[in-house]
Amino acid sequence: MRFDFTPEEKDFKRQLSSFLDDVLPTDWHGPADESRDDHWTLNQDIKKGLAERGWLVMSWPKEYGGADSSPMMNTIFAEEMAYRRAPGHDRFGTRMFGPTLMRFGTEEQRKRHLGSIARGEIQWCQGYSEPNSGSDLASLQTRAIEDGNDFLVTGAKIWTSLAHRADMMFMLVRTDPEAAPHKGISLILVDMKSPGVEVLPIVNMAGVHSFNQVVFDNVRVPKSNLVGDLNDGWRAGMTVLNFERSGIDYAAWARAALEEMVDYVNSDEAAVTSAKTDSTVRIKLAELHMEVEAARLMCYDVSYRQGKGEIPSSEASMSKVAASEVYLKVLDYGVEILGMYGVLEPGSDQAELQGRFFKMRLFYTSGPILAGTNEIQKNIIAQRGLGLPRK
Amino acid sequence: MDFGLTETQELIRASAREFLEDRSKSDIVRAVAEGDNEAISSLWKDIVALGWPSLTISEDHGGAGMSFSDLAVLLEELGASLAPTPLVESSISSWIIERFAPDSLKSDMLPQIANGDILITPAIVEQDASWDPESTKVAATRSGSSLVITGEKRFVAFAEQATHALTLVRIDNEEPVLVAIPIWKADGFEQTPVAHASGVPVSSLTFNELEVPVGNIVATGNEAIEAVEELTAAGGVARAAQLAGLGRTVVDATVEYTANREQFGRPVGTFQAVQHHLAEMAIAAKQVNHLAYSAAWTFSQEGYSVIAAAQAKIAASDKIAELCWTAHQCHGAIGFTWEHDLHLYTRRALAWKTDYGDSAFHKSKLASAMGL
Ligand SMILES: Cc1cc2nc3c(=O)[nH]c(=O)nc-3n(C[C@H](O)[C@H](O)[C@H](O)COP(=O)(O)OP(=O)(O)OC[C@H]3O[C@@H](n4cnc5c(N)ncnc54)[C@H](O)[C@@H]3O)c2cc1C
Repeated sequence: MRFDFTPEEKDFKRQLSSFLDDVLPTDWHGPADESRDDHWTLNQDIKKGLAERGWLVMSWPKEYGGADSSPMMNTIFAEEMAYRRAPGHDRFGTRMFGPTLMRFGTEEQRKRHLGSIARGEIQWCQGYSEPNSGSDLASLQTRAIEDGNDFLVTGAKIWTSLAHRADMMFMLVRTDPEAAPHKGISLILVDMKSPGVEVLPIVNMAGVHSFNQVVFDNVRVPKSNLVGDLNDGWRAGMTVLNFERSGIDYAAWARAALEEMVDYVNSDEAAVTSAKTDSTVRIKLAELHMEVEAARLMCYDVSYRQGKGEIPSSEASMSKVAASEVYLKVLDYGVEILGMYGVLEPGSDQAELQGRFFKMRLFYTSGPILAGTNEIQKNIIAQRGLGLPRK
Repeated sequence: MDFGLTETQELIRASAREFLEDRSKSDIVRAVAEGDNEAISSLWKDIVALGWPSLTISEDHGGAGMSFSDLAVLLEELGASLAPTPLVESSISSWIIERFAPDSLKSDMLPQIANGDILITPAIVEQDASWDPESTKVAATRSGSSLVITGEKRFVAFAEQATHALTLVRIDNEEPVLVAIPIWKADGFEQTPVAHASGVPVSSLTFNELEVPVGNIVATGNEAIEAVEELTAAGGVARAAQLAGLGRTVVDATVEYTANREQFGRPVGTFQAVQHHLAEMAIAAKQVNHLAYSAAWTFSQEGYSVIAAAQAKIAASDKIAELCWTAHQCHGAIGFTWEHDLHLYTRRALAWKTDYGDSAFHKSKLASAMGL
């Protein structure tokens, strides 16, 4: 047992942190709003800088631009990036699609795509969900019909994060409507600039354009963009979800928010002065501190197990549930401590902490919904993790 | 015990539902949130015509002489439809004026509140956002038959529409005074809107040597403190009644959505995980409803119950916001969008959670009342 990072890991964390000191604006509080051009530019600049240092995909094999390091190194990377609310961490390419391609792609596809992800050149997005297929992803209806050397894709994806910034999409399509739902799905790669692709913005409840509807009208996709076998996309598609499902970002965001709250309570400039002397505030912040650490350890455990070659599915679900929920608890309490100031929207002169807590609370309502809802995660934990009977 | 509504209350509920169904649709709620003050005025005009601002004002002063419980029935419907209108502000202010003001002020103001000539809103909180009257700093000095007022009040709802602000000040840094300040186009007065989650206008008010006739004083000294304590309690119960209605709407909408949204070949409402969420939400809404009515009823008796008022506001603040978050979870991604109305309810619930004393404020009141 060792509840500490290795000297090499610590050293990396220090380097990353000092890199972020240099590249983030001095008054940076985040989180980034990727629909804003200035934030997107910052995202691209930071991503380039991270790529130059070889930090985007450290746990990948050297031949694909990685450093053969342990999954723990990736976790440290993700944690520090989230802790600083820094843009530039492309989860879709580096965390989901890349690892999937390594397992299921052809050598040609790997060469073509992994390098550009490692160099931070291409933005990917994930086209899975559809209006009628959310939790029940296998019911998806977007059709791909074979036509010579191409597929013709028609249908609609929804909730596609960053589609408005993406160059490429990895998407699940139905290639055999006659087969059982899981057996007629394929994973294909689509250039977002293809004729017939239309990206329609959706604004979220925090007032931010972060996701989209993407409509496909007879979009031509070369068959060489099929990943894995025809009609065997479900397996590859689900692998992506396993990579997606870690709570480390939430745990780190929660820690950052909690520290911000402690600073606020201690500050002499706080408009809400009662928090300083209120003993219940101390007790509640202490409780949250414990909860954040508990969630963080769950996330480290997942990378520890991955490092030993396991596929910790139930543990990953546990970490996602615990961390996404504790983050909301922290934000709820942040809004609450600010009292009447807590419900001022950003942009109000009088807003405390620039109205950040209120906006983040609204924004991260999505945490327990996206990447498989927490109800679905709990089903996984109960059935796959604890072995409870399904029926 | 009688949990039933009186005949009058049934009538109030039915006519409120009918009116609000048409006049407080979500496009109106959204327009107001985006700054459409015309929409507020036109709704308020209709509400005045219905006589709602006069509901609890005594018949002697041109009102309908109904009880606080009757008001609560009406407010539940206003909350259920998110009606962007200052009825709580007006009703609570007139309630306090009726209970504390000298006769001359009552006969001057109450009939005008009842007929809509005066719209009055409470202005209690200052920079520290505290509802404790003792923390008041806004300064008043006596000058002949006037008070001269200087200082800032924050988080005042509907100040843009109001003719008067029911304001707590301190004379010579000492004696607390509750005074009805005419603010409509007044000299020495400025109001600055803030961007507020409630989706209705909220402003801070700055008084710069504003002169008010002493005849507008509602209460002085301990009486003023008592008046503000009662105002906070009554406002808290009024919000609790609205939040009960808001919660009910959100439960109904979530039942409706999950009963129809199909995944895995069946409505998601058939999954026990979802059913249990909804069951918890329904329990919360019911509890808040009972506590709000129980507390409202005490206002119709000799003196109100500090304990019941605190319980109602604590429950409403904490449970209804939580209920809204659970509703988002049950809706999945669709409920996370701007276009979907759910966040309008969530925003309003979060805002109402903080006014007339938040949960921490009322817990502290309750603890004292329990003898701690
Ligand atoms: C901010 C955000 C970003 C997203 N980004 C992307 C993206 O980039 N790409 C992409 O493909 N998708 C994305 N999604 C979609 C996301 O994956 C879906 O929202 C999610 O899978 C849930 O589907 P749904 O929203 O249709 O909810 P539904 O599946 O309709 O669920 C509604 C409710 O029913 C519950 N439920 C459903 N089935 C069960 C069950 N079997 N047992 C118990 N409860 C159940 C759910 O937990 C939920 O509470 C994003 C979503 C959000 C909110």
